[in-house]
Amino acid sequence: MHVCLIQPGTMYGAPVVRLTGILLCPVITFLFLIRPLPAEDAAAKNPAATEQNDVYFARDVVPALTKLGCNSGGCHGKSTGQNGFKLSLLGYGPTEDYEAIVVEARGRRLFPADPSQSLLLRKATGETPHGGGQRVEVDSDDYRVLLDWISAGAPAPKPEDPFVDKVSVTPDQSVLSTSDHLQLQVTAHFSDGNSRDVTRQAVYESNEPDVAEVDDMGVLSTSDGGGLFAVMVRYGEKFAVFHGTVPFAPDEQKHSSITFDLKERLERDPVDRHLLAAWNRLGIEPSPPADDATFVRRVTLDICGRLPRTEEVQAYLDDPHPDKQARLIDRLLDDPGYASYFALKWADILQNRGRGYSTSKQRQGTALFAAWIRDAIADNLPYDRFVAEILTATGSQETNPPTVWYRTVRTEQEYVESVSQAFLGVRLQCAQCHHHPTEQLSQDDYYGLAAVFSRVGRKGGFADAEVPTNEVIFLKPSGETIQPRTGEVMSPRPLGGPDFSNSSYSDPRHEFVHWMIAPDNPYFAQTMANRIWAHFLGRGIIHPIDDARSTNPPSNPALLEALTQEFVASGYDVKHLIRICANSYAYHLSMVPTASNAEDRQCFARFSPRRLPAEVLLDAFSDTLGVPTKFPGSGGEFLTGTRAIDLPDEAVDSNFLDVFGRPARSSACECERVDAPALGQALELVSSPLIQEKLASPDGFAAELAAGSKSHAENVHSAFLRIFSRPPRPEEVAVAVDFLEGQEDASTAYQSLLWSLLATNEFLFNH
Amino acid sequence: MQTVACDGHNLRPPRLSRRRFLEFGAPLLGLGLMDLFRLRAEAFDSTGSKPTKSLIVFWTPGGMSQQDTYDMKPDAPPEYRGPYQPIATSVPGVFVTERFPEQSRVMQHVSVVRSVHHGNGIHAPSAHWMQTGYFGPTLARNAPQKPSFGSVISRALGARSPEMPPYVTIPKAEAFGYQGAVYLGKPYNPFEVGSDPNADDFQVPNLTLPAGLSLDNVQDRRQLLNSFDTMRHELDTTGSLAGLSEFKSQALEMVAGDHVRNAFNLSAEDPKLRDRYGRHAYGQGALLARRLVEAGTTCVTVNTGYWDHHDNVHPNLEQHLPPLDTAIAALIEDLEARGMLDDVLIYCAGEFGRTPLINGHAGRDHWPNCFSVMFAGGGLKGGQLIGESEPRGGDVLSRPTTPHDLLATIYHTLGIPLSLHFPDSAGRPTSIVNTGKPIAELI
Repeated sequence: MHVCLIQPGTMYGAPVVRLTGILLCPVITFLFLIRPLPAEDAAAKNPAATEQNDVYFARDVVPALTKLGCNSGGCHGKSTGQNGFKLSLLGYGPTEDYEAIVVEARGRRLFPADPSQSLLLRKATGETPHGGGQRVEVDSDDYRVLLDWISAGAPAPKPEDPFVDKVSVTPDQSVLSTSDHLQLQVTAHFSDGNSRDVTRQAVYESNEPDVAEVDDMGVLSTSDGGGLFAVMVRYGEKFAVFHGTVPFAPDEQKHSSITFDLKERLERDPVDRHLLAAWNRLGIEPSPPADDATFVRRVTLDICGRLPRTEEVQAYLDDPHPDKQARLIDRLLDDPGYASYFALKWADILQNRGRGYSTSKQRQGTALFAAWIRDAIADNLPYDRFVAEILTATGSQETNPPTVWYRTVRTEQEYVESVSQAFLGVRLQCAQCHHHPTEQLSQDDYYGLAAVFSRVGRKGGFADAEVPTNEVIFLKPSGETIQPRTGEVMSPRPLGGPDFSNSSYSDPRHEFVHWMIAPDNPYFAQTMANRIWAHFLGRGIIHPIDDARSTNPPSNPALLEALTQEFVASGYDVKHLIRICANSYAYHLSMVPTASNAEDRQCFARFSPRRLPAEVLLDAFSDTLGVPTKFPGSGGEFLTGTRAIDLPDEAVDSNFLDVFGRPARSSACECERVDAPALGQALELVSSPLIQEKLASPDGFAAELAAGSKSHAENVHSAFLRIFSRPPRPEEVAVAVDFLEGQEDASTAYQSLLWSLLATNEFLFNH
Repeated sequence: MQTVACDGHNLRPPRLSRRRFLEFGAPLLGLGLMDLFRLRAEAFDSTGSKPTKSLIVFWTPGGMSQQDTYDMKPDAPPEYRGPYQPIATSVPGVFVTERFPEQSRVMQHVSVVRSVHHGNGIHAPSAHWMQTGYFGPTLARNAPQKPSFGSVISRALGARSPEMPPYVTIPKAEAFGYQGAVYLGKPYNPFEVGSDPNADDFQVPNLTLPAGLSLDNVQDRRQLLNSFDTMRHELDTTGSLAGLSEFKSQALEMVAGDHVRNAFNLSAEDPKLRDRYGRHAYGQGALLARRLVEAGTTCVTVNTGYWDHHDNVHPNLEQHLPPLDTAIAALIEDLEARGMLDDVLIYCAGEFGRTPLINGHAGRDHWPNCFSVMFAGGGLKGGQLIGESEPRGGDVLSRPTTPHDLLATIYHTLGIPLSLHFPDSAGRPTSIVNTGKPIAELI
């Protein structure tokens, strides 16, 4: 363990009192009459000549307020302020903050005649009762900044003031041991060419507090486990990122399970070599590959959303060929289940929502859109064209089903948030009201993206204009989006600009799509590569998958880049991308941990078990018990045998699907589909008529076993193969046969046995 | 505790080693809950109270007429005041409708806030306002956006007894779907009773074995499951395996064990007491709520009938007011007799009130500009009238009160720190009460 503590730079020297014209309320003006002294303000003439020791509102005061937590989202930074005092969130609006501090509340927050008696300071020090308690010590550095600024006449922010141009952190990456410490050093570079150590004024946040925490002074402390982490360092509106690596185990303990041959093979593979590199770097020994029975179940569930049939399991187990995994994956991609299951995934992301004013009126549209998505996936429509056809859709649901996307996504906010989360992998919500606190995204980005859709017109549809049913989507000749803070009319533009040309003869949506699907677009292909990787590995390389930002870096940038490049080079071939992910070494690993990977969640060194999604689970019950589920539809039922993954929208009544996490499709975030355990799920298993009816059906699997002529042991064997895709272990056969023999009523006995197998985590989870 | 709230850093859960994370069964508790324990400890340190309180809600969906109940206007013209006469109560100077004779006897425990307003006159957004403290959905685009107060309570406090569901709705969840947990997570959705507690054969569908399944079968299944459900929980760093196993045990215990089934067993009550509560859905719902709270549930919402009386409001009220009156008054007296009244907060509210002026169909329409809600018990001051409406009831005359203030009052009473935030689906920390302040006159 080593400790390297660097002494942070010293703070301000003696304050230079500088009188600047500010607008004070009449009372204070009486006490403290100040006149503007523009000619004497050296900074106004030559910004480079500003004094290091001068206190500037935006450069010095606002970051101090941020450091002290005054403008945080739980306090005066929230949209409604706190007790009548509202600051901009994390200081994104210095002008507004200046107004709030100096002008509002009749100027009572400052007391220039005796600066230390200013309410701003007395509240912050707790001398005057403060809901937020004491935030700062009298005479501490942060206190001095505020006091010096007030003493200097509380100068207003001016355009020519030096501002924070850039923040840098030293070091910006490091390999640390467990239970280690490291002092970060932060420098703010100002627009006047000066720079200053702001280690003590900066704000720090670790993205993986389990791996490493960071305190207010910039001292990192790693935990007793390993992993990757990033620390966001913010000063003012600018931030820098430190990347940390904490290996799990010393070098010599690595990789006893990776033979020389395997190592060679992995190093040759364009994807696997990046996994190997990460495992090496972190000192992780990956788990050994899962057995064949586990793998065939795993991959059939993940590609087709169903359990493998007994004969599929048997054929795979019996296949002696070394390339059988790749052939299995190819076969599953041609199975109709693939299109159905991935259509369900995309119907969630594309918010093909049936619940609303009138499900019966909306069903026709959701059914058409669901079918369109399924066909597109079955045809392996290249992903760029798939997205383009949706975002640029015009017409009616009958002539062009992707227009149904515009039924759910219909406001400025929804356009921006759905498009950015679904296709760009970023969360722009924050930038609706303020600068994104952890990314270089502004309100201009938000409203520029909104402007892309400002000419989307709608006509027809159901009587109530707010009810989105069977409208015709068309391009209006004009339409505008206003940036609410500046009042500016926004031109359509992609994230980061520049503006698109905006002619009434062109559709800005086409220009946006053109920008998005360009091979060098930093968001589009990467988001899809990450999404598909997360589908198979249970976690994105960027996690969560829709939250890419520099302060939330990918756990394996080279791996993500390799997947992205493969995807782009294939011409956005989704099946190709799936093949790469499903054939990767990581996807084949067992869930049983090794000594060094048990606590790792970032490096894909073992399989992470996850509960079957609601629809897949319900279909799995129907399939194993041989009794289809009946779904209520408008004016009757869906055709017998309709699978849950093929339902057109989320508005089909099913308590089972609801409790097991079927999403409401109210956002484009896959996180809406939750797999968190809940009591309702367990009750559904234990006491719902749905499961019991399937168990007790005279046409079902339980009845078939009870009535058949096979021995209990043979029946137990088929039940295990059908339910777990594996033969039973001898002790399991013993328990089951013992139970069956002790029961008088064979059909009740088989119902109980099957229930107890179906209620196991082994059945409920993909593992 | 506010120190914590104002410090953005503390919105993050405190550090917890991953091994400990597993011991705690993270998904059950939720990582954020560890933070909450700390917040709560601080809250209790400062108030000296313990998390022993619970909440029973009478929700009046559709909107109950304030002028015919808790905010009479006897001096207004007949087209405003309606046919009911005010009657005196146990608190001098406080009057209620003649249809609330039972409550009038226990008015010393009851306080009425007469100045609630939120300004939205459409059912769904208003219900969202009153259930969550936030404006959000519209009539057509009605997906819930924020968690209900019941779900917040469920997540913040859990059940006071581990076998019991923390949040129950009787008979089902209502309020246009806004009684759920949204981004707090499915475990915090209400447990729906699912049937009428006044029915002769009242049973809880989720706790009732389906046809053809006996208790013996369940015991067999439970034993077999123990043999076969052997996948090692520690293989999973997310805690899902352990969490689901835990819930399976709880569900089997609920169905096959005694504690929970007893709590729902209304026939164990003295028939005379059942009569006192009233042999109707409201009365038996209130009695069931009391049994549940006694057994360890923290929040029970009794959803009463639909109060959207645009036509013939008074004949309709005849169906609703007497049973509501009996249910509330019997609950207050019963809780008092059991020494529980200070530990159980009673709250009666709907999405809005109704127009002061009777319309051409002898009905009253939606009125969100000024309406009344009722509090009782929970250690709050009784016999109070908070806020005033204008002489004809159209607008707030004094002490405007918002939905946030009502929720802040509830959370404060239950010992939930008002500084509590939960991340919404985009990860933004979102306050449980925004700007609301507890109603000081009640505390």
